Amino acid sequence: MKVSNRRKATLSKRTSSVIALCVVLVITVALGFLGLNGCKLDKDGEYRLLNWLPTTDAENWPKPISLGLDLRGGMYVEYEATMSDELKAQGLDYDMLLESTMNIMQDRISEKASEATVTRLGSNGIRVEIPDVTDPAAVLELIGTPAKLEFLDPDGNVFMDGSYLQTASRSVDEDGKPCIVFLLNKEGEKLFGDMTAANIGKVISIRLDGMTLMEPTINEPIYGGQVQITGDFEAEQCENYALQLQSGALPLDLRQDKLDTISATLGDDALVTSVKAAIIGIGIVMLIMLLRYRLCGLVADWALCLYIIILFLLLAVVPSIQLTLPGIAGIILGIGMAVDANVVIFERIKEEVRQGRPMIHAVRIGFKNAMSAIIDANVTTIIASFVLMIFGTGSVQGFAVTLLLSVITSMLSAILITRFLLMRFVRIWKNPSLYVAAAKPAADSIPEEAK
Amino acid sequence: MKMQKRAVVCLCISLAIMLVAGVLSLCGLGINYGLDFAGGLNLTYNMNETFSQEDVKAILNEQGLTDFSVSTLGDEKTTLQIRLPKLGDEEIQTVKTSIGDALKEKYPNVDINNTNDSYVGPVAGATLVKNAIFSVLLASVLMLIYIAFRFDLYSGIAAVFGLLHDVLIMLSAMVLLRNVVQVNSSFIAAMLTIVGYSINNTIVIFDRIRENNKKADYSGMSRSEVVSVSVKESLGRTIFTTLTTLVTIVVLYVLGVDAIQEFCLPIIVGILAGAFSANLINGYVWAALEDHRLAGSSKGKAKKA
Repeated sequence: MKVSNRRKATLSKRTSSVIALCVVLVITVALGFLGLNGCKLDKDGEYRLLNWLPTTDAENWPKPISLGLDLRGGMYVEYEATMSDELKAQGLDYDMLLESTMNIMQDRISEKASEATVTRLGSNGIRVEIPDVTDPAAVLELIGTPAKLEFLDPDGNVFMDGSYLQTASRSVDEDGKPCIVFLLNKEGEKLFGDMTAANIGKVISIRLDGMTLMEPTINEPIYGGQVQITGDFEAEQCENYALQLQSGALPLDLRQDKLDTISATLGDDALVTSVKAAIIGIGIVMLIMLLRYRLCGLVADWALCLYIIILFLLLAVVPSIQLTLPGIAGIILGIGMAVDANVVIFERIKEEVRQGRPMIHAVRIGFKNAMSAIIDANVTTIIASFVLMIFGTGSVQGFAVTLLLSVITSMLSAILITRFLLMRFVRIWKNPSLYVAAAKPAADSIPEEAK
Repeated sequence: MKMQKRAVVCLCISLAIMLVAGVLSLCGLGINYGLDFAGGLNLTYNMNETFSQEDVKAILNEQGLTDFSVSTLGDEKTTLQIRLPKLGDEEIQTVKTSIGDALKEKYPNVDINNTNDSYVGPVAGATLVKNAIFSVLLASVLMLIYIAFRFDLYSGIAAVFGLLHDVLIMLSAMVLLRNVVQVNSSFIAAMLTIVGYSINNTIVIFDRIRENNKKADYSGMSRSEVVSVSVKESLGRTIFTTLTTLVTIVVLYVLGVDAIQEFCLPIIVGILAGAFSANLINGYVWAALEDHRLAGSSKGKAKKA
């Protein structure tokens, strides 16, 4: 009785493993299918899921995966930048103002499109290139020129707009507390002075693009054009406010010169080429894994498929990520690290098998022994990409986000998915030679036991 | 001892490469900065018909130009924009005339009289580069702290030493290959990729060393012997992983156009340099540091090197 009971138990373990594997297989195939084709449950387009996996068809590239300038191109705008007469009268340096105008524009665009570039054009121009847009209105919205800055009197009427503002910056008041200081031009001086003189003790409001930014109270009439806003501010807050005020007023006046589409900077076929190369490369890697690690390789390949599906889903869902050639390299790196993690695990399993352990224990111990190396290796890479994401600017930041997502996903897939699948496999097929070609150590090139 | 000698030789090879690259840079034969760093001249032609970027590139090559990028502007795809390196005023005229004539031959509708040319500043400006360097240094420090915490201080130093080695080898390679490859903003990304990747190999080997140091079997060995055994034990894995990562990048290099190649080449160099330093240098740096420390603190207790 006992024997048959045990057999029953093993049988049911085996059955449950088969079921689990089938479920994961169905999920993988379903996700893969959805990723490639998307789905429309409704004719009205209500339950619509767009496809998200990359293809070699550049024309029908999945919509949710946004592409950078290098792979898709976008639009470019050229501006002529001129200095207002007031600024000229103050004797300010044109090149310096151009530089700060470019910086403000870069900051403003980076929030929505990290891969956009702002470059100097000739002696008095600025060229902005924005990836993955074809609609001029969308471009202008991204650049946001000019952000509409409005000053409202206590009755809620606009008495002044951003064109009267020259510069805004962070400063400290008499008590050494952080505050915001902005400078108005001649006309602004008068407008602001008259309004403040008539409304002492009342609250005015400053709006940026219709959103209330600040509601300072007037303490005294402010003539002279230099306005100081004090309050319970952190230094960083002041910096932000100043930047926002500033964005309503770029230091230089910009006149849009040209606005047109531009092709991918790496050439028209860069996207197709790199996707093709990635598919071929990954195919070769998967084949090698399969040949060298047999069923273990199969499991690794399976996990790799899930990794790719999940990673691109993340790339599609997380806003402001634009895939670039460096980004593709980041993904290849992630694949490399996933493969590496699996190789480290499989080599450890192989060592255990050689010592005569049954497969199921070999897998358990193999994972345990490999874990510290995998975690340490991945955490260092995650630290690096995290730093780049926080401190990097422009394209470096964009690349870091892709790298970070790719490494985290690869680590999770290599550890969790591989482990889950492999544990099911060894419960169904127990023969070690199916998994690792370790039956005859001498015939293999893998590291010998060092003595 | 033998192993340590080999590590010293390997380190000397690397240093020699860096030295040669350094001297070349000082002699004005440094990195060949491309349009992204140096800025350039935009020439815009109204072609009045659609054209093939490949053909235009071929035409420019025939004119003896190698350093340029070609874009298509406009919804109708009939405007050609060529970006060239900065040139003197007279040179511009000559180059413009020769490009114009060559284009006219292939595309008779092109309007070569009303071209629009303007200088563009660098895409990868000083801020981007400064920021990238700062971020890499900060990342290195944080990685050092993490490894020091998980392993020991000298492992952290040795690992980051290896990282800097790999990055410097990449830079040196760009100097030595200045006639073959240009450095554009994608090089920054290539360098960051290697910063993320190369530490991987080192960690896996250090993990072995950490484990073997605890094993009774190895207690009679000197540190560099343990390193050597650990490197051997993980050699199969190191070679296999390095090759699998290289495969994809090499395929990309082979299939890709110039701009893709100039991104892949430094990565290939970096991956190879990473495998080299992880196996042949970093572990021994750790052993030497550790031996030195123990020799300094308590001479009797130090293991024989």
